Amino acid sequence: MKMNTPVIEAQGLSKDYGNGRGCRGITLSIGTGEAFGFLGPNGAGKSTFVKMLVGLIRPTGGQASIMGHTIGTLEARRHFGYLPELYRYQEWLSGEEVLELHAKLCGLDRTAAKKRIRELLDQVGIGLRGRDRVKHYSKGMQQRLELACALLNDPQLVFLDEPSSALDPIGRMEVRQLLQQLRRQGKTIFLNSHLLEDVELLCDRVALLNNGQILHTGTVAEVLQEKTRWHLRVGGFTPFVLPWLTQMTGIPIGIAADMPLPPYSDAVWLEAELTDDEQAGWLNSLIVEQGMTLYEVKKSKTRLDEWFKNTLSGLSHRGERA
Amino acid sequence: MMTIIGMTWKELLRKRVLLLTFFMTLVFLLAFWFVADTLGERLGRGEPADPTSMSHLIEVYQIGAITLSLGFFFGAFVIAFLSIFSSFSTVAGEAEQGVLQAMLPRPLARWRWYMGRWIGYVSLGAGYAAFLFIAILLITKIHSSTPGDFVSLLKSFLLFASVVPMLVSVSMLGSCVFSAIGNGVFMTMLFGAGWLGGMIEKVTSTMQLENNTTLKPLHLIAGLMSLAMPADSIQQRMLAEMFSLAELQSLVRINNLGPLGLGEIPSNAFLIYAACYTAAALAAGLLLFRRKDF
Repeated sequence: MKMNTPVIEAQGLSKDYGNGRGCRGITLSIGTGEAFGFLGPNGAGKSTFVKMLVGLIRPTGGQASIMGHTIGTLEARRHFGYLPELYRYQEWLSGEEVLELHAKLCGLDRTAAKKRIRELLDQVGIGLRGRDRVKHYSKGMQQRLELACALLNDPQLVFLDEPSSALDPIGRMEVRQLLQQLRRQGKTIFLNSHLLEDVELLCDRVALLNNGQILHTGTVAEVLQEKTRWHLRVGGFTPFVLPWLTQMTGIPIGIAADMPLPPYSDAVWLEAELTDDEQAGWLNSLIVEQGMTLYEVKKSKTRLDEWFKNTLSGLSHRGERA
Repeated sequence: MMTIIGMTWKELLRKRVLLLTFFMTLVFLLAFWFVADTLGERLGRGEPADPTSMSHLIEVYQIGAITLSLGFFFGAFVIAFLSIFSSFSTVAGEAEQGVLQAMLPRPLARWRWYMGRWIGYVSLGAGYAAFLFIAILLITKIHSSTPGDFVSLLKSFLLFASVVPMLVSVSMLGSCVFSAIGNGVFMTMLFGAGWLGGMIEKVTSTMQLENNTTLKPLHLIAGLMSLAMPADSIQQRMLAEMFSLAELQSLVRINNLGPLGLGEIPSNAFLIYAACYTAAALAAGLLLFRRKDF
């Protein structure tokens, strides 16, 4: 991970729509070559934040810069490619013409642009269909075109807002490979996605946004290195054992109410986050010592989607005004 | 900005807006040809008059004026609707579709995008206005007569075409504020109000207003409507310039042709107002667009 010079620097960036939506006081610093995942439930303010960075929305507070240039300025806009979440291209143009138009807007040299367009159309899997009008494209084809458009000016920074939401599994895999290739080229990627599997595979760091505010920022490794969660199916359980077990082990142990149990079973699922197998063995022996029956033990590693659910669990995320 | 202007032209061509407009214009010109022919036949009827006599000259002038008034009555509508419907969804429609969200993050100043679109629509609208203006004049000339003074014709063309930037400016301003459909309805009604104001003015001006105080409020309402949308008044002034009415008003009577008449000819001050109206709409649109969130 290369995080030397900040490519994106946001200090208390806010957009207040006056209805509880938007985002508040976002402070972030993303370095060169970093792949950053921006996560959050629907309506959390992820797209609002990205739109502020790319100059589509004017912030109501705070400040931010891209490659040292204040967001919204022409200079800042020269340095990134952007794939918006909700977009459509001019249906009366062909895919090639859309890219030609954007190449002109980026000020690319005509000959270089032609060559680049050909390469990109092949790279994103559009190929010769680039000569067809956009109105004949499927949603997935449009998304591929959008990706080509975002990469057209060979930007140092790429903002991707749900880049593979309309793609089939093969398309998703191709996009993932393309993004990994961009990473290898040292590009900075700002990925806004609900496909946490992609985020987990691609990103160095993530931030979790809820109701317009950052709840958590950290490297993916930190997030996933949380203690391993163990589930133990125990028969003959009595509730007073729980505080005793917790006291003996010094580990919070709870009942996992959402785990499935066999019909008519008197057993319960206990849940604990343990650091290693020894701790698990000790816990097992304590349970058996108390005369309970240990039917089953499961070990599960926390994935990003689980972390996402756990972190947001119990929190309102509808953006309602307090 | 040239990229955006070119894109606008391509859009109007690809969406077949121009093709349809030209096709319908040909249909109109064909119909107009027969109307002009029928009116022109009146000149050949009755006793052969001395072509140099004053009465003959006045008749030729009047028939030419009626034919041109008819032609430009339709022409003004076509130009107005072409201007409105080509531009009413520029900002709102493209934002609703998501086209702008992909374009605006590019290193292009927003004002350049806005002006590029404006110039694109206005240049095509003005080009079409020139085509229609010349076609109407030619058909009228073949069947009766047209004013020969180049300066008058140039002035009247500039006035005829000036409705294009005015309507495009207001329409684009509206599209920064309203939804695409809302703006289409707003613009049609605003233009309709201006046209109605002009109609009321034409009708009331033939009714000896000085002696009839009950018509004064009507005249006032018509004036306010013309201020809200000066397009129809500009067209009246355009016809007045074309027929050099300032000099010939005492000789000919083309003010009392009902809806095709001219009513009260808008003053130079009104023209300045119309120019300021256009400039203000363009400036307000630019300002709103620069500050708009997408």
